[in-house]
Amino acid sequence: MEFSEHIKTANVEDVILRQPFRPSIKGTLCVTGHHLLFSDREEDSSWQLLLLLRNIDAIEKRITGSSGTITIKCKDLCVLHLDIPGMEQCLNIASSIEALSSFENIPEMYPFFHRPQDLSLEDTWGLSSTEEDFTHMQELYDRWRLSLVNSDFSICPSYPSAVIVPRSVDDETLVKAARFRQGGRFPVLCYYHSKNGMVIMRSSQPMTGANRKRCREDELLLQAVIDGSELGYIVDTRSSQQAQQARMTGGGFESKSCYSHWKRLHRHLERGKVLQESLIKLVEACGDQSHSMDRWLSKLENSKWLSHVHCTLSTAGLVAECVERDGHSVLVHGSDGTDTTLLVTTLAQLIVDPQSRTLRGFLRLLEKEWIQAGHPFQQRCAHSAYSHARLKQESPVFLLLLDCVWQLSRQFPLALEFNEMLLLRLAQEAYASDFGTFLCNCEQERCALGVKEKTHCLFQFLLRPSEREQFLNPLYEHTDLAIWPCVQPQSLHLWSGFFLRWTEHAQNMEEARQEIWTIVNQYREKAGVEETSQALSKHCEPLSVVENLMEELTVL
Amino acid sequence: MASPSIPAYNSSPLENSSSQNASRESLKMEPLADVALLPGEERVIDKDLIYMCPFSGAVKGKVFITNYRLYFKGTDTDPTVTLDVPLGVISRVEKMGGASSRGENSYGLDITCKDMRNLRFALKQEGHSRRDIFEILFRFAFPLSHGLQLFAFQSQEKYEENGWNVYKPLEEYRRQGLPNEKWRVSFINERYELCDTYPTLLVVPFKASEEDLKRVATFRSRSRIPVLSWIHPENHAVITRCSQPLVGMSGKRNRDDERYLDLIREANGTPKLTIYDARPNVNAVANKATGGGYEGDDAYQNAELVFLDIHNIHVMRESLKKLKDIVYPNVEESHWLSSLESTHWLEHIKLVLSGAIQVADKVSSGNSVVVHCSDGWDRTAQLTSLAMLMLDSHYRTLRGFQVLLEKEWISFGHKFASRIGHGDKNHADQDRSPIFVQFIDCVWQMTKQFPTAFEFNERLLVAIVDHLYSCRFGTFLYNCESVRDSNEVRTKTVSLWSLINSDTSSYLNPFYTVESSRVLYPVASMRHLELWVTYYIRWNPRIRQQQQSPVEQRYKELLALRDQYLKKLEELQLSDSSPPPHLTNSSTPNAASPTQRVTHLQTPF
Repeated sequence: MEFSEHIKTANVEDVILRQPFRPSIKGTLCVTGHHLLFSDREEDSSWQLLLLLRNIDAIEKRITGSSGTITIKCKDLCVLHLDIPGMEQCLNIASSIEALSSFENIPEMYPFFHRPQDLSLEDTWGLSSTEEDFTHMQELYDRWRLSLVNSDFSICPSYPSAVIVPRSVDDETLVKAARFRQGGRFPVLCYYHSKNGMVIMRSSQPMTGANRKRCREDELLLQAVIDGSELGYIVDTRSSQQAQQARMTGGGFESKSCYSHWKRLHRHLERGKVLQESLIKLVEACGDQSHSMDRWLSKLENSKWLSHVHCTLSTAGLVAECVERDGHSVLVHGSDGTDTTLLVTTLAQLIVDPQSRTLRGFLRLLEKEWIQAGHPFQQRCAHSAYSHARLKQESPVFLLLLDCVWQLSRQFPLALEFNEMLLLRLAQEAYASDFGTFLCNCEQERCALGVKEKTHCLFQFLLRPSEREQFLNPLYEHTDLAIWPCVQPQSLHLWSGFFLRWTEHAQNMEEARQEIWTIVNQYREKAGVEETSQALSKHCEPLSVVENLMEELTVL
Repeated sequence: MASPSIPAYNSSPLENSSSQNASRESLKMEPLADVALLPGEERVIDKDLIYMCPFSGAVKGKVFITNYRLYFKGTDTDPTVTLDVPLGVISRVEKMGGASSRGENSYGLDITCKDMRNLRFALKQEGHSRRDIFEILFRFAFPLSHGLQLFAFQSQEKYEENGWNVYKPLEEYRRQGLPNEKWRVSFINERYELCDTYPTLLVVPFKASEEDLKRVATFRSRSRIPVLSWIHPENHAVITRCSQPLVGMSGKRNRDDERYLDLIREANGTPKLTIYDARPNVNAVANKATGGGYEGDDAYQNAELVFLDIHNIHVMRESLKKLKDIVYPNVEESHWLSSLESTHWLEHIKLVLSGAIQVADKVSSGNSVVVHCSDGWDRTAQLTSLAMLMLDSHYRTLRGFQVLLEKEWISFGHKFASRIGHGDKNHADQDRSPIFVQFIDCVWQMTKQFPTAFEFNERLLVAIVDHLYSCRFGTFLYNCESVRDSNEVRTKTVSLWSLINSDTSSYLNPFYTVESSRVLYPVASMRHLELWVTYYIRWNPRIRQQQQSPVEQRYKELLALRDQYLKKLEELQLSDSSPPPHLTNSSTPNAASPTQRVTHLQTPF
């Protein structure tokens, strides 16, 4: 299909663009295969708007007389208005946007065309892989091994080609266990807690069904995970009632009799449609421009978004507690093992693992737990809160993750190396991107379409020296301690940086961030000056103590 | 080597404390369990009882009552439960249960505090065991109802700095560039004869004579005539404050008042003077029935009147009461947001803030304003002081903020004694209201929205609100300057600012950046207002853990380390040729202890 078929009018002059926090401007609007381009014709100001059509969630057109207005609602929640002269031109533009923005054929999406000069397709795609990670984890070698049983994605289409499993379990057992788990997602290792050797595993639900089927191999596999220790925990992200009901459709849960060393805990997390509707309600409340805001808190509560944040964080806290405080291994699953499961395992790792709180560590965590572990981004992020299209598989699970991470960063201002800017950027990129990172639903699809060969990698890009700086938290300081989030409702807040970004953005917070950077840098410089004066009197012995202090100081 | 301030009591039961006290008799201050008594503080009674802690259950221990505080220390719990409550915080003491009531711990005392908490103590039922402690508490918590003095008059505290010198009206007006050719300083109220609730020094239009002022005073409630609070350094627009005009049912007019307001307008050539009436329109109308009212259109032709819809002291009191109900002892978690909404507390905050924003905006665009409510000492003080905080960065410094409070609240007669009820047993007094707390909350909201604009931090705000009740300092005592003068507050009590300014380091915001001419407009939208959790819910142990900002803590430690290091470097350079041995010894422990602390303070729980 040619893009040009959908573009009846490519250029319109004298269009007025109205957008949040800027005066409206007159200029030329241009529709291309992937972008909406707007530039004003002023000589000295070369201001442009370049909007990925993929970012458009919904459009509304209103024709009045000979001209029309198109309202564009973006997936990142921004709302723009275009006043277009000429009814026909307006209708043409609108239909082009409608057709091109709902394009579902992945190889024709923009990441396959994005070719900036300073990036090469030869660059490394991705930060790491299971294989690479495993080679650096020698402490695992005793009890764990790398299995390539899924190298052709035939055992589990949504898993990566390599997974880490207990050493004592052979591939044949894995194949059989995979048949017993929904979508073939048999239990695999996702985190090893080196302090006490405990692990977090994840999988999908067992297919016990109505007649309580068993699978020896699955039981063996889990037995091998705890390997002689007393007890492991299974954190099921469904209520026990839901888990019971799942048996009617072939699913189920690990019964006590068959998995005697595992204790099941049920924590009900919402998913799918419920989450999507919650987001829609929240965004509606945030965009409500009526002046009587006296019902705001009720509306916020009714959207239930913050209670999803609460449930997610407290379930993650539970998993972290099992591993770090009680010293037990944990298996996490819901039904598919591709949504709430990943939410919980990711946040649990952030809580206990200092490595994952660095910029690179966090991006690697996302790559491992979301990209490689098969969160279906293509389905979940097809639409965001404004779309009128009938919902299919959309669900803001990843957005919920970012929100929870933001809550952590708010409660622990020193603990994360990255800042809110990174979270905002990721929220945007997940829905519409120049990069291939969030394309497709799993590694198998990515391989089939050659995503890693034909697109650029977002995570690598964000880590480039030129980009990196803007995503750093000036106050970051490494700590080995776990960061236990407070989950009481009075400790959780609306992520205003994201949800109110385009409506009631508090400009001053951005300025404050800049100022804090400046202050921190000033102290760094001062510390530098002192270091030289210190060198002068180095012959004085007691200075070795002071030297250590200086390292401390350079942090600020 | 003596270490008087940190006794290692942690493990020893309190029965031993008397012997420990004995061994410390040489010290000037008598330790009370493990807090040092303030100079002037005296022990009154000790008693074994049970503290019914809402968070950790019944705690056996001992309570100590002095003329200043109630101190409780649990005996057999780990970590030790302690309470340190200034008696001034107590609003009500009640007996709970009777000699014949059944059930464990049903006999004792129930104490309601002004700072969002209640305390319950259980005692043995035999032999009227609570009688003495009840009477003593009642007497010392409410000294004014028993012909006794407030503790501030017994305190013997000494500080390096005298906080009473923080605010000097003439200096402050001079800083604002006053007097000038349009505004003069009047001493007409030197003996509080014009208005007994105003300060002695007033800034009024240059063209208004003393006789004019007297005539205007007859037309303003309690003679609180319009006077200048702040003048814009460039456009010379002013904020003036007053009380309502005495219009009454008949719609009286007063030519002098009309002319006087026009003089205010004229002073910087503003075409129209804006009068902000803080009240809701209906209330302003209703006030006519009691002789008050508002400036009518026909009488004040060059003025526009805007109502700001802020409710009265009774509404605010009830609102905060509701808030307390949902946060103490337990936080209403299941419907937290809608419960919070039903208290309307944040809505009131929003109205106060947005009123102040309107005032500030008007003034910075060059128009003079008059602000009043009914008497001009509650909502008016909130609006003028918040607007001044937005307009003038001086008030955002540690000392400037003190000046702001001294000026707009204390000297202009916010009725602290009536609103707080210092030392008064009448807990149901309808005059009590948390207007000042509400103002501090608004300031907190601003510091949240502008994290780098204020030199002081949250700890200062909490300290201010704590000492609003404590009666340890004279700063917030009495209703107005004239009463303060006759009670010789400035000579017989210590100012809160003496305490604060003698050790400012813990009240400073590490991220403060000086910006002299910036006007701050906070977002007064419900979506951006937050409940001040670290104040209102601070007694809840779950919240308390998060209270101390790790950022500030960290910053302070590093600064201390740097200072220490610089000092050491200096010493080293001085003693370069022959390093004295003590240097090596002393530097190591000093340096090591903070470093060790550093590794633990990251995680605030």
